[in-house]
Amino acid sequence: MAKWGMVIDLDKCTGCQACTTACSMENNRLPGENWQDVLFYTEGKYPNVSMKWFPRPCFHCENPSCVSVCPTKATYKDPDGGFVLIDWNKCIGCKYCQVACPYGVRFFTDEKAVVQPDIREVFPSSNGRQWDPPYKGPQDDPSRGIGIQPHGVVSKCTFCYHKVSKAPKGVADLDEDIPELKEYVPACVRVCAPKARFFGDLDNPASYVNKLIADKRGTRLKDETGNKPQVYYLSGGAAGGVPGLRSMKDEG
Amino acid sequence: MTENVKSPPILMIALAGLVVTAAFALFNLATQGHAAFNGSNLGLHWTFPIVVYDYFLLTSTGLAMVAALSLIFGGAHCQPLVRRCLWLALAGLVGGVAVLALELGHPLRAVWAIPFSFALSSPLWWKVIFVIAYIVLLLVVFGRLNQGGGWSGAARPPAILLLLAALGVTGIAGVVYGSMTMRPFWSSGDVPVAFIFESLLGGLAFAMFFTYLAHGFSQERMPSPLKGLLAGMMPKVFALAIVVHLMFVSSRALIGLYSNAEGLQVWQHLVASPLFHIELWVGLVLPLILMLLKATRGNGAAQALAALLVMISLFIARYDYIIGGQLVPLFKGAWAPPLLSYAPSLTEWSLLLMAIFLANAVNAWGESRFRLSSCEQGG
Repeated sequence: MAKWGMVIDLDKCTGCQACTTACSMENNRLPGENWQDVLFYTEGKYPNVSMKWFPRPCFHCENPSCVSVCPTKATYKDPDGGFVLIDWNKCIGCKYCQVACPYGVRFFTDEKAVVQPDIREVFPSSNGRQWDPPYKGPQDDPSRGIGIQPHGVVSKCTFCYHKVSKAPKGVADLDEDIPELKEYVPACVRVCAPKARFFGDLDNPASYVNKLIADKRGTRLKDETGNKPQVYYLSGGAAGGVPGLRSMKDEG
Repeated sequence: MTENVKSPPILMIALAGLVVTAAFALFNLATQGHAAFNGSNLGLHWTFPIVVYDYFLLTSTGLAMVAALSLIFGGAHCQPLVRRCLWLALAGLVGGVAVLALELGHPLRAVWAIPFSFALSSPLWWKVIFVIAYIVLLLVVFGRLNQGGGWSGAARPPAILLLLAALGVTGIAGVVYGSMTMRPFWSSGDVPVAFIFESLLGGLAFAMFFTYLAHGFSQERMPSPLKGLLAGMMPKVFALAIVVHLMFVSSRALIGLYSNAEGLQVWQHLVASPLFHIELWVGLVLPLILMLLKATRGNGAAQALAALLVMISLFIARYDYIIGGQLVPLFKGAWAPPLLSYAPSLTEWSLLLMAIFLANAVNAWGESRFRLSSCEQGG
């Protein structure tokens, strides 16, 4: 069985947010409630100002704290693929997983709209979902947190389970440049223009993602939490590095 | 002479308040959903309703601890307090759980999804299991005392179990926060222990205040065993509990102020707020002084005031702890400021009032139904 993982080369990432947009389109996200996001960090004061960015999906951790705290087992680790998924039929919206995730990648979207106007009022839903967008993807699997988010539950990036899980068995990497595999590639990886993202099987020694992690000393965000993310970052220092702090620096 | 303040006026006021606040909260929740709360995905997930729920829950377990300890170790002179504490514990729990039900995304689903999930790795699962056992034991002990089955006989074995359940609920509530190592403001091995002492202090404060409330804030109207308790052991134990809690509060604040760890900068923010000083000086130090001075220790007005101040202080402490642990956003970059700001919405405030009115309505009903002030009952 595969253990899918992602490698993001920070030296190549331009912070263009194509990944964020593709994810939002693929997964019918509400504006601002981005499962995949590129975070920007500004530091310093004029004239010594720097701006860095940091792409951040859900890390589908090997040892996820969100899974261990869930009181209903709604959040679970899929043994076939290593995805961390949410069963919306079991989620009670207690938000314990949101509190326990060190990376802030979970979303309870019943709250005030992040972006105005509130798109939920523009395209209201009548079937218990957050909204009814004019375009929506065909995939809908509440037991895996796929589709338009219902009310009262938490959601998160699924590593595009609905695509990746259909990939041919035994394949080492899902590369958008291989025509027969491109339909199985997560949306954020497929659209990455500078090809900063790679997706493959971390348990397959022959996978390109493993080679990248080994050759370029891939690191994981806040490894000290013990969550062991399945997303690795590469940084040679040319651009942004993996942030040490979870918040911006308070320079006031 | 035993003379109670008539419960019906309190019951009527509480019911009227309950109707108004519940109607306001329910209307806002029905029309706005959880957008009526001021939480956000920037990092504030558990907001004021959780503060209210935890406060009422821990107050309830504290009252149960006071009752169970009195039953197990205390003599007959503790008797007047026990039934009131047990019923108050139940009333507080009802108020807290009602607020929690309105905070959850799917409260009805929680009723079956939590117990039958057997999510053994989740502190919340264990908390719910312990709360179920706690409620059952609370009713059993209260029932046995009301059957007149004896002061220390039939009620003592379940009281021991009740004490363990109350300690379990409180300790696990501490684990829920203390185990969050990614949030240094919350995380510490001493949190479950601090919660237990905080809960015990809350139990003592509520027991004292509501005893006075039931007797029109007059010691003259109390039966002599109760008067003796309030003149003797009770204020001393109360003072000791304040001291222990003060040590936890001050040591946590001092370490927080000295530390450079990310997350603990929240302490600078909290200490700069007047709320913290009200909690510390008005809510803890002043009551401690009142309980230490011989002139005020046995004075009814001073005791009731001290109890009320501690009750307020503990609520501020709960608010600062739960909200403070979420003020540093988790990886939101420039989308969030270095420190989030939060103030409860009107709907959230109404839930606090709803819990207060609901708990008081249940308590006032029990006061008249079970004649909680009566020494003869359960004796």
